Amino acid sequence: MAVEIPKDSWPGSVKEVTLGATPAEGGTRSRTVTVGGETTLPFMHFEAPPPHPPAIAIEIKSRRPQDWSPLLGELWGAAMNAPAEWARQAEDADADLLVLALDIEDTVDDAVAAVQSVLQASGLPLIVWGPGQAEKDNELLVPVAEATKGERVVLGICEDKNYRTIVAAALANDHLVQARAPMDVNLSKQLNILISDMGLPLDRILMDPTTGALGYGIEYGYSVMERLRLAALQGDAMTQLPMIVTPGYEAWKTKEAKVGEGVPAAWGDWQARAIYWETLTAVALLESGADIVVLRHPESVQNVKQAIANLMTPA
Amino acid sequence: MALTGIQIYKLLPQTNCKECGLPTCLAFAMKLAAKQVELAACPYVSEESKAKLAASAAPPIRLVTLKADGHEVKAGNEVVLFRHEKTFYHKPGLFVRLKAADPDLAAKVEAIENYTVNYVGMDFTVDGFALQADGDLAAAIETVRAASKRPLILIGEPQALESGLGALAGETPLLYAADSSNWEAMADLAAQHKCALAVRGASLDELADLTEKIKAKGVEDLVLDPGLNAEGRRVNMATWLARATQIRRLALKKNFRPLGYPLITFPAEHQDGAGEAVHAAQHIAKYAGFIVLDTFAPELLYPLLVLRENIYTDPQKPIQVQPELYEINAPSPDAPVLVTTNFSITYFAVANEVEGAGLPAWLVVTDAEGMSVLTAWAAGKFDAERIAKAVKDFKVAEKVRNRTLVIPGHVAVLSGELEEELPDWEIRVGPREAVDLPAFMKQALQTA
Amino acid sequence: MSEHVLTFYPEGDGNAQSVRVPTGTLVADALQQAGVEINQPCGGQGRCGRCVVQIESGAIRRRSTLRLTPQDIEEGFALACQGVVEGDAVVRVPPQEKISRRLTTDRTAAAVAPPPDYAWAEHQSLKRIPLTLTPPSMENQTDDWARLQTALRRQAALEDIVAPLPVLRKIGDRLRQNDWQVTALVDTGSQPKALLDLLPGYPRPEEPMWGVAVDIGTTTVTVWLVDLVSGQVRAQTAEYNGQIARGEDVISRIIYASKNDGGEELRQRALETINALIETACKRVRLTPEQIVKATVVGNTTMMHLFLGIPPASIRLTPFVPAVNSPPPFTASEVGLKIYPQARVLCLPGVASYVGADITAGALASGLADSEEVCLFMDVGTNGEMVLGNREWMITCACSAGPAFEGAGVVDGMRATRGAIEEVWINTTTYEPTCRVIGGVRPRGLCGSGLISLLAEMFITGILDKAGNLNFSLGSERIREGEHGPEYVVVWGEETAHGRDIVLTRVDIDNLLRAKAAIYAGFSVLAGQVGFDLQQVQRVLIGGSFGQYINVEKAVQIGLLPDLPWERFEFLGNTAVRGAYAALLDRRAEERIRQIAARMTYLELSADNTFYDAFMAAMFLPHTDLTCFPSVAATLNKV
Repeated sequence: MAVEIPKDSWPGSVKEVTLGATPAEGGTRSRTVTVGGETTLPFMHFEAPPPHPPAIAIEIKSRRPQDWSPLLGELWGAAMNAPAEWARQAEDADADLLVLALDIEDTVDDAVAAVQSVLQASGLPLIVWGPGQAEKDNELLVPVAEATKGERVVLGICEDKNYRTIVAAALANDHLVQARAPMDVNLSKQLNILISDMGLPLDRILMDPTTGALGYGIEYGYSVMERLRLAALQGDAMTQLPMIVTPGYEAWKTKEAKVGEGVPAAWGDWQARAIYWETLTAVALLESGADIVVLRHPESVQNVKQAIANLMTPA
Repeated sequence: MALTGIQIYKLLPQTNCKECGLPTCLAFAMKLAAKQVELAACPYVSEESKAKLAASAAPPIRLVTLKADGHEVKAGNEVVLFRHEKTFYHKPGLFVRLKAADPDLAAKVEAIENYTVNYVGMDFTVDGFALQADGDLAAAIETVRAASKRPLILIGEPQALESGLGALAGETPLLYAADSSNWEAMADLAAQHKCALAVRGASLDELADLTEKIKAKGVEDLVLDPGLNAEGRRVNMATWLARATQIRRLALKKNFRPLGYPLITFPAEHQDGAGEAVHAAQHIAKYAGFIVLDTFAPELLYPLLVLRENIYTDPQKPIQVQPELYEINAPSPDAPVLVTTNFSITYFAVANEVEGAGLPAWLVVTDAEGMSVLTAWAAGKFDAERIAKAVKDFKVAEKVRNRTLVIPGHVAVLSGELEEELPDWEIRVGPREAVDLPAFMKQALQTA
Repeated sequence: MSEHVLTFYPEGDGNAQSVRVPTGTLVADALQQAGVEINQPCGGQGRCGRCVVQIESGAIRRRSTLRLTPQDIEEGFALACQGVVEGDAVVRVPPQEKISRRLTTDRTAAAVAPPPDYAWAEHQSLKRIPLTLTPPSMENQTDDWARLQTALRRQAALEDIVAPLPVLRKIGDRLRQNDWQVTALVDTGSQPKALLDLLPGYPRPEEPMWGVAVDIGTTTVTVWLVDLVSGQVRAQTAEYNGQIARGEDVISRIIYASKNDGGEELRQRALETINALIETACKRVRLTPEQIVKATVVGNTTMMHLFLGIPPASIRLTPFVPAVNSPPPFTASEVGLKIYPQARVLCLPGVASYVGADITAGALASGLADSEEVCLFMDVGTNGEMVLGNREWMITCACSAGPAFEGAGVVDGMRATRGAIEEVWINTTTYEPTCRVIGGVRPRGLCGSGLISLLAEMFITGILDKAGNLNFSLGSERIREGEHGPEYVVVWGEETAHGRDIVLTRVDIDNLLRAKAAIYAGFSVLAGQVGFDLQQVQRVLIGGSFGQYINVEKAVQIGLLPDLPWERFEFLGNTAVRGAYAALLDRRAEERIRQIAARMTYLELSADNTFYDAFMAAMFLPHTDLTCFPSVAATLNKV
């Protein structure tokens, strides 16, 4: 029996967004990373092969983090004390991109120095996150944006409260922004509209719909991403942006990943569980449309890399 | 083509007789459009209308139930491609495969049978066992049944399986698997012993051929294994995703019955380097009905059981956060205690404002069934009694030295009753809007 | 480039002014050059229509006719800011007061007139039946009541009439004092039919008979005093509901009612308000309330429960089920109305906890229930209820919009009374506002229409982004960081009645956004549930006091109302009391409202997760999906 395979053809597609700039393009990166460009739902090769594989970013910090799981502390060791070294090791661990998260204690000089040291240590395109408090974000990200003009750095994390300053800095210095809305299709779309109303072209916005870890709200993030991607394919311009999500951050703040003692025996081996937690969160999000996943553990990076390779080549 | 509520309404008697249990014919039509009621509930619908409405009825994916004494695992009856559209109904059964010839079989069964893990108050277990008939199947079944009453999947050739079926009278196991070489014998066996039957093939064409032929032999509870290629090896993630998606689309959108069955998967058999866990995760998210694991490891099972629970959660429920005592910016025991509801947007609004301002605080999130402050108050889900109960249940007084409780300004009216409920606490009325919280905390509470 | 001569005649100020300008000059610029004053509150964008002038003769091209009707154009009107000089012209500049009246109106209000086909003898359930009884004698010792029943049977074919005890008590005297010539007042609408009163002699046919239609609103109670014979409304009175002192919204009242004797107190407060209104109305037509022999009552479900003294507690708790949707008839003395004690009080039926008799009555009064075309009826007060449908089907829902559009929950909000700013225009370059104040006095605050207008202007001029954030980069001192966060100063303290600045804060804006989003989400969910395209709604029928003064264009710009052609909107005022009035007069109307209540499909939004999505989509200016608001998109492109 010849079964006729139903194929969807969509009026819309996702914009391509390129992170980083090589010397020829006005930056210093050894290569750029392009994501997006999808014309169908994730990995539907029989309709149209995805033009770019999803990218993996490894998250590093400007200062040694105090609240990370000890598993990560042991793993990265002394590299956590120096962002440049950490960046080098992250690149060796197969990252496509780096996320440098600035710290609330950073002065402007600290922040700029950390960003510059990372740019010197690694040729990967860079995403820089402020510490997550609107005023401090603005204080640090504007000088960082100026000091890295032309690098096509992604500035984050832009939310509805602080988007104006960050977007203005991106506009003035040829950077991109990461636009985060709290797990809601409409809020994501609204933030994209606000940013685009300021004049930032859509191909310089990464959409971060926020996600929860496995067991901590992943289903909401998962469905929001599926809905955003469906809306994009249906032609809604303000959702046609590649999606960046942070399964590493989310998974590693769960008790399951963070804590090894005093937990039920049914949770099994701590390290293996923690890596599964990060890996499975990331894989589920890839299937729902993530273009960039930000991870923390090199073993998860390998697992997710393998999954991406598999998803990109039908066999 | 799915009909709209109005279109369906025009085909109904429009008498508002209420016999369907709904107050009006339009209400019934809307439920019918949403596939939440059966057309049969309307006693007066005309034959003509029935015919017109038939297409938008009948579940396109067959419900297959594996049964053992007291345990059931169901798969099928799904009506959507994306969980946000409605909900995924039947969680895929997680089975662990064991070998009949395994000398440690009894011990393994016992360990798996006893595995229980608690996730937000729910106890999860493995759903059943898959037995590979590589030895004395009847004896192996006896061993399993000595420790477990969970449903079985029996894997092997027809003759080998037949030897075991005698021991499973009254149960509905799943036989794995019929293919183009053995389908007749398998179908006969399944028919004779009233088993469900898995069907495998290297393409959708082959699967559809087989299901039609087997159905013609009277076996209807079929399960598809679309995970093999022409060489008999497992396909990789991309191909599996494509096939699973195509099968569900054909069933749902084209009402294509030959593939309208649940799927069975074997995550460990995919030799593409991605690993059993990653494949199993893909199968949970994308349309598996039964998942047969080769590894029994708590650190693997626990995340898979949680993922399954998450994906199969009813998306119609408002987005909620877990009611508990949340810590914001590492609060000391002297930090203030704020109260709000467990509607996620409300929670995020409060938590983000306080966190963003760098102020340490304890946040009591009460169970208001996912409603915002005003809505919950209006519906009686956020009152003095509930707040007091949360404060007691979360043992706030043990963790916090401070005895000041800040309630949202919108429910200022509750402060009197709350003082009665919580006599040791000073009740303060905070601002109506989260955005004003940092200023309130700095000025009124003098939080550093 | 050629030059042209423009001559201006400022009306009321006689002196003609001439000026030479090149082709392509705007009339507004020419006016300025000539030194002739003209107001341009919108900054010359053709949005406000305030700079309208009349072209006596000559060549002026109208770049935009947005604010002009074909008749306006016929009469030579043009907007100065949109008029392009293409030849010599003579232009009349009207004074501003006149302009505002000349503006294209976007509201229509219907006046009260009795239904044209009303014939009381036929349609009224109360009948006056003149009777002549044979006096009793030693030969005929039939009792008075049986004698009366026989007369009713023989002379009016009325069987099985009953009489309440108080009526029985007076028939003996009434008959004897009037020589057995009396008029029976019979209620033929009750089961069984009842003798309500025995009137002396034979009143003239046109002699009035009195009834009241009562609408118990959460905020305002309205009473219409009606002559049931002519069908005329003889007096209309309205007053704040005395229950307000015990809570502004229904939820507060439900909670108040469930404590101690709160329910009885609220019942008394409602009765006091209604009885006082009836008394006032009666005084106007020199009547005593006891002459009123029939009443119809509408109100939301909570108000109806409180009026009847039925505990309303279950209304607000899941699964949101009221004690009664369709109360049976009562007598006035039972419910406490101070009219004729045996008068029948008809409480019209509601549909659900949050869709009451005010809505079923409104569905009739607005014409929706008789319409062939699909209509949207909305009644926005403290709650927003709406009905989508036509004579074949009706679906309804209620959304808690909150009282923001009534001025509550907004720092400088107030009701639409003297001193309320009811309209605002903001200049696009200076961000300076121009306000219209009710009564023309110094402003005290902003009423609902003022808030809608202000929000729309702030958005269109870019003071607000689409999320309602204030834009501090515009350099206006009116945009500042206030006590409650970012705010916009509408009127500086030196120009207000109280000396304080009148502001709109970010929190106010959020409250307004929530209110408008709840209402719009209600529309979209109703339409979505039945698979109907909101753009296909042929008439939008707006009831309630809220609707009376709002400007459609502004309400569309903020996304409160769907973006449909203006002519599809009809403002009907209080449709609830109008429906009660219809039922008071005509038993067919009463029956229709009962049918409407039975047929209306109620959608519980709290059980509908699409509502939350629709609400979030509407929490944006005008809406997350701008394609639903093409006219607003066009305006934004122009600015």
